[in-house]
Amino acid sequence: MTTDDPAAPPPAAPPTPTNPPTTAPMTGRQAVFLVIRRELVERTRQRAFLISTGVTLLIVLAIAIIPGLGGDDGPKKFDVGVVKTGEAAQRLADALPRVNLGERFEVATRTLADRAEAERLVEAGDLDAAVDGEEVIVKKELDGDLEALLQLANRDVRAQQALAAAGVSGEQAAAITDPPPLQTAAIDPPDKEQDDRRSLVIFGVFFVFGQIFGYGFAVASSVVEEKSSRVVELLLAKMRPGALLTGKIVGVGALGLGQLVLYMVVGLVAASVTGSIDLPPGVASAFVLVLGWFLLGFAIYSALFAMAGAVASRAEELQNTTSPITFLIMAGYFGTFAAIGDAGGLMARVMSWIPFWSPLVMPVRMASGEVPAGEAVAVTVVVLVTVVILVRLAARIYSGGALRTRGRIKLKEALASAARP
Amino acid sequence: MLELRDVSRRYGDVVALDGVSFTVRQGQMRGLVGRNGAGKTTAMRIVLGLAEPDQGDVRLDGAPIDDDARRRIGYMPEERGLYPKMRVTDQLEFFGRLSGMEATAARTAAARWVERLGVADRAGDRLDELSLGNQQRVQLAAALVHGPELLVLDEPFSGLDPVGIDVLSAVLQEEAGRGAAIVFSSHQLELVEQLCDSVTILDRGRVVADGAIPELRRRHGGRELRLVVAGGGNGWAKGLPGVTVVSSDGDEVVLQLDDGADTQAVLDGARAAGRVEAFTPRSPTLAELFREVVQP
Repeated sequence: MTTDDPAAPPPAAPPTPTNPPTTAPMTGRQAVFLVIRRELVERTRQRAFLISTGVTLLIVLAIAIIPGLGGDDGPKKFDVGVVKTGEAAQRLADALPRVNLGERFEVATRTLADRAEAERLVEAGDLDAAVDGEEVIVKKELDGDLEALLQLANRDVRAQQALAAAGVSGEQAAAITDPPPLQTAAIDPPDKEQDDRRSLVIFGVFFVFGQIFGYGFAVASSVVEEKSSRVVELLLAKMRPGALLTGKIVGVGALGLGQLVLYMVVGLVAASVTGSIDLPPGVASAFVLVLGWFLLGFAIYSALFAMAGAVASRAEELQNTTSPITFLIMAGYFGTFAAIGDAGGLMARVMSWIPFWSPLVMPVRMASGEVPAGEAVAVTVVVLVTVVILVRLAARIYSGGALRTRGRIKLKEALASAARP
Repeated sequence: MLELRDVSRRYGDVVALDGVSFTVRQGQMRGLVGRNGAGKTTAMRIVLGLAEPDQGDVRLDGAPIDDDARRRIGYMPEERGLYPKMRVTDQLEFFGRLSGMEATAARTAAARWVERLGVADRAGDRLDELSLGNQQRVQLAAALVHGPELLVLDEPFSGLDPVGIDVLSAVLQEEAGRGAAIVFSSHQLELVEQLCDSVTILDRGRVVADGAIPELRRRHGGRELRLVVAGGGNGWAKGLPGVTVVSSDGDEVVLQLDDGADTQAVLDGARAAGRVEAFTPRSPTLAELFREVVQP
């Protein structure tokens, strides 16, 4: 059917190009790099992104600072009055510091002239309690700790009196009423470092969940946006679907990771400045734990979300195609609470082994010191294998579905028409 | 430059392309015409690697086309598409770099093309803030930004206002002038006739006519003559050997001449009938040609 046009201009004298070729052969890696760069630049430029980052930072700051302001008030304080009815009253006042073992409370005592003054001051709230002879005057009820203190002091005074009456005094009496305190021998003493690390990881895991969900969804909507705006046709004329998908996932993921690091660093710095936590030596390992599991989790969910985007053709369809994924990640989120509640419990242990949930459950369990090294390695391997399988599957479904810009695509069709993965 | 050889493609039971072959050479502009669904878009998408042929192959400069070769193509898809939220120059730079340009070269080229296509004042705006006509100009710039050796444009003129059509025509002629090979599809046959040196007419996935436009006109239209003979009416032409009257209106007649017919005998007959005021060999327009070769 081909005809060589006899009337065409002779090919012997091609006109000189006015703009010399400026293009060079390009590798797939360069294309991936360009896609990553575009995702990063365009996303960080969006006002919505800047605002949401700012708002989240404020929330992080609030969470980090508030416990530092309110949490460390020192020991509980009591103001106690003693009505002056002779020597007994003074003795009670003297005994109070003695029975305040370990100085867990701060007790201020003052002497009152009579019951009327006591009632007036207690009524006004100037005193927590006033002792008048055999009675303790309080406004409504006596604080449990204060009651224990007062009763102990009373016993002490009575015992001293009884001993004195029996002719025992001085050191002998003191040996009876003020014996050396019992010492504590903890079988499993609290580990300040591990506790700090654990609370840090729990704090981090909530952000991991948010970042995986938010940025995973961003992958799906970015895939659909390119389809619905039809720009995907132009893109795939320049590069393979695999390169486009890789660039997209890495670019979006890098942004999610960067944001996560920002939140955690800002949170830590603020918390240590205001004294909410001391920066423990475990900070670095907590960081690695959180960021490492974020990367694994994002790899899994971004692959799933990419598939959900590939089989939709309009943004409105995303809600349907992503709902199984939403369900899956929400279940993992509740698993996190199971691990916080009982890191060694059956539920947390089982959920750790399911790769869709491991990234949310494992960091909490690991920070709680509940995971033997062997199990941690084994779970990581399971997750990595899942990542490889899912990413390959996503690349196939994506290359089958990316150019189908009309209507919902069945998964089977997308797989079948994956011509150039 | 570009060569399609016996390319076929089916979608289920539908035959989109059936043994299609054509070539586009350096500096040549080829029109691809045909009714909707004739296979024009499928042919272009196969060139760009967006669809695979079931049979046949596509060659660029004699070698089977590959990914690197495809980056040297400037493509304008039938369904326009760029990033709606991305700024015009950023977008052009991105596509330039995807085609293998260095960052600075891509930026310079982007600036040059927005200038040339008359959208320089919108260069910093997001694409979705532009009118559809201006978006189309940006789309064209995206196809041209890397100085492609081959331009594949699917309906580049649709949606353009008359000024836009003039700008695009001038740009295409410049590009052909610098040596680019161009193939574009269009339903505006007068434009194709005006711009292209050759044309491929597709019908139901098959090439029904292909070649240089003047040649096709001669070949398909046969020879026609238009005469105006003052006071001659139209009876005089009847009975001349090898001549058929195609139409007549007062003193004007259009005659179709068989291969053996003698134009001088026709002229003699006309002069015998009256004063000859017009004697014009006439070839069919592309539109007429199209209607002749394409089944209704």
